[in-house]
Amino acid sequence: MDNGKGGRLKQASALWHGPGLATFALRRLVWSVATVAGVVAVTFLISHVIPADPAALVAGERATREQIEALRHQLGFDRPLLTQLADYYLRLAQGDLGKSLFTSRPISADLLSRLPATIELTLAAMILTVGLGVPIGVLSALRRNTWLDHLVRLVTVSGLAIASFWLAIILQLTFAMDLGWLPLGSRLPSGVAPPPTVTGLYLIDSLLTGDFATFGTAAAHLALPTVTLAFPAMATIVRFTRAGMLDTLNKPFVQYERAMGLPESLVVWKYMLRNALTSTVTQIGLVAGALLGGAVVIEAVFDWPGLGYYAVNSIIMSDYNAVLGFTVWVAIIYIVINIVVDVLHRLIDPRGTG
Amino acid sequence: MVDNSNARDRAVTRRDLLKAGTAAGLASTALGSTVQAQTPSTFVFANPSEYDTLDPHTVFDYSRVATRLNFYDGLYRWLDNPPKLTPWLADSYTVSDNGLVYRFKMKGNAKFHDGSLVTAEDVVYTMERMLGINKGSAILFSSIIKPGTTKAIDATTVEFNLSRPSATFMSTVPEIHIVNAKVLKANTKGDDWGQAWLSSNVAGSGSYKLERFDPAIGVTGTRSPDHFMPWPAKYVERIDLRTVREQSTQVLGLIKGDYHGLDGFMPADALDRLRKADSVQILEQPSMRLFILHLNNQRAPLNDVHVRRAISMAFDYKAFITDILKDTAVRNPAPVPSNLWGYPKDVKGWDYDIDKAKAELAKAAVKIDRPLEIHTLVGLSQTEQAGQLMQAGLRKIGIESKIVAETWPILSGKTRSNETTPDIWTNWISTLYADPHNWVGEMYDSKNWGNWKTGSWYKNPKVDALIDKAFASTDQAVRDASYQEAARIVVDEAGSVFIYNTKWYGPFAKRVQSVRFCPVGNGQDFRWLNLG
Repeated sequence: MDNGKGGRLKQASALWHGPGLATFALRRLVWSVATVAGVVAVTFLISHVIPADPAALVAGERATREQIEALRHQLGFDRPLLTQLADYYLRLAQGDLGKSLFTSRPISADLLSRLPATIELTLAAMILTVGLGVPIGVLSALRRNTWLDHLVRLVTVSGLAIASFWLAIILQLTFAMDLGWLPLGSRLPSGVAPPPTVTGLYLIDSLLTGDFATFGTAAAHLALPTVTLAFPAMATIVRFTRAGMLDTLNKPFVQYERAMGLPESLVVWKYMLRNALTSTVTQIGLVAGALLGGAVVIEAVFDWPGLGYYAVNSIIMSDYNAVLGFTVWVAIIYIVINIVVDVLHRLIDPRGTG
Repeated sequence: MVDNSNARDRAVTRRDLLKAGTAAGLASTALGSTVQAQTPSTFVFANPSEYDTLDPHTVFDYSRVATRLNFYDGLYRWLDNPPKLTPWLADSYTVSDNGLVYRFKMKGNAKFHDGSLVTAEDVVYTMERMLGINKGSAILFSSIIKPGTTKAIDATTVEFNLSRPSATFMSTVPEIHIVNAKVLKANTKGDDWGQAWLSSNVAGSGSYKLERFDPAIGVTGTRSPDHFMPWPAKYVERIDLRTVREQSTQVLGLIKGDYHGLDGFMPADALDRLRKADSVQILEQPSMRLFILHLNNQRAPLNDVHVRRAISMAFDYKAFITDILKDTAVRNPAPVPSNLWGYPKDVKGWDYDIDKAKAELAKAAVKIDRPLEIHTLVGLSQTEQAGQLMQAGLRKIGIESKIVAETWPILSGKTRSNETTPDIWTNWISTLYADPHNWVGEMYDSKNWGNWKTGSWYKNPKVDALIDKAFASTDQAVRDASYQEAARIVVDEAGSVFIYNTKWYGPFAKRVQSVRFCPVGNGQDFRWLNLG
């Protein structure tokens, strides 16, 4: 028994202290628990000290002071702040995010009902962002100071400068109202039932169930919000990729590979790009994290039922449990993405391992 | 050769796939549009707020009124404009001589959506649930009905026993939305009165049955063909209540035909755009939604009546209503809507006059030695515009001020105490029931101090007595005279700055017919309308 236990301990210790990727990811994962706890504590304290009174809001406009105080007691808001925080940690450890003060629905159910829309839009935007952003960044660097490079600069500066809500409305006016090619917003039009839920992502679920009509409709509804969301993100990716490529262009290893007679495409797309991607991958991670936290403006303009507006509404209404639930989600997303980005960095540039 | 050939094959395949995908996408998009166009008789309503709960007893506001009116029934219902209290699940009612016992005789044929009859026991359960939860519209009843006092006399007779006479009780009866006791009891967990379940489900008898609910998207309902109230010759089979937050999207969607109706309180520029569209009609009705600036009557220098009168004369009413709001509202100089009984027609109110305001200010005993704070609501541009206009007027009479924009939860939280209530703050008072008590009664009775509606912290024993008299009396003439007199005094003492009464401009698709507007519910009782 002792040997077995000792053996397992040794294995765990080796994993913890080892040089491999698994060790690295495990360590980050363990520390992430402390990070989430810290984020919850800060959000909890901020949301509870702002001078809003959710008990009064829940009680309604005609509530007397006595009724509000009774409700405050019932909701536990009259207890010391640290007691409330400890209680929240306890529930969180059991996977319970609590209930909405206003709807009594579990927060986890509310988050889960909005997550698929956010994930679907983020995935589509990221595919467009990375799929176009990285090649354009590479081409722009290779053709530095040509008309192409100037054009790309113009587009990327526009992407960073143009307000999303303005771009969204212009796209709506052009493609939905004037040309009539695409719908104004929402995930599906009124009267079209969503495909049976497998993943919650309409495109995937409609394909899995062979419902190609709904697939096309969902794709058409996804088009404008995706472009609006991807445009500024793509500008960032293009600029970072271009900068990385320019940094790599005159490195000795590139000259060596060219001197070896390797095909230019191989030099550019395999060796140069791999070296140039380090900072781009970080940016992709940050952009993905931000998008997975919800895009309030895009959701509002395109009537997209994602997480962003839920969070804003919860903050406005001082729905503490909803705000904390959303915060936990965003914290987890950023932690996971940061771990993935770090792992990718090590894969791209193994010199950092160890 | 082989490799090249393979490469070409791959390239062709990708291109073919792209072509096929695009074609499939376009074809299926067209198909999707066809599906939408073919959906029979669905009325799509774009609501600016979320339908975050379907429980009729936990919320009491306009943003979710459509779910209460279309999925649930009450004993009585407000209909038309001016609002008329109409028998609904009940046929009639009697009230005892002492004004304490209200007995309702119900129709015997009304059925819940599960097919069971709506009985007096369901009404009793509903009232106990409302008082037990003590949220939303329970506030209307918790001070006059004690738990356990509502009785089912027989299957179709229910009796409410009030702890004190209330002349407004009948006005608030439509807010008792009857729920199916059997279904609720089966879905109750602990002492939650089925709240968790009912937030996403319906247990009512209303004109429409719940088809689908997604708090992030909205709620759809299908017609209940055997609803006790006869259906008109034309109606809509389905209602689709969608959350569409962005005003620009609401406007474009209505013009494009994606939606058939929008909220009736759109700003002037949005209405201008809609009026230019051939596919849209704007239905206009007088409404009852007052816009005022609360003045904190308990804090110096606003505790001086001359200062309050001067402020009332420093607000440019015409510029606000005509120039900013493009006459989409009408001046309402008293704390009762001008189109409701109880409004004192002889009251002229305060006009914008800087010279008179300065003269009035000179009479003030208090010294104004600090800038006044004007609090407006974040995201509601009209409140910010009113604040700026007030600030400009105050500057002209020598009073400095600063504008503070806040969210509603924070602002309403501050108004719970006169210490934290701002000097001046913007507010709308909507029609939650069509009785002057909803305005002058609730806003200026000092016994109600402590909720945002009394955010002017006005106190005058004579006004308190008049409101008490009106609240307890069942004599309409007495009530009318009392509310009028109370309103006169409040206006004379400039309790608040009374600005306008809203008009309702209902934007609907041209094909929508027979919209039946009532200020209580904002025309969102959809069983009456049809799509032509």
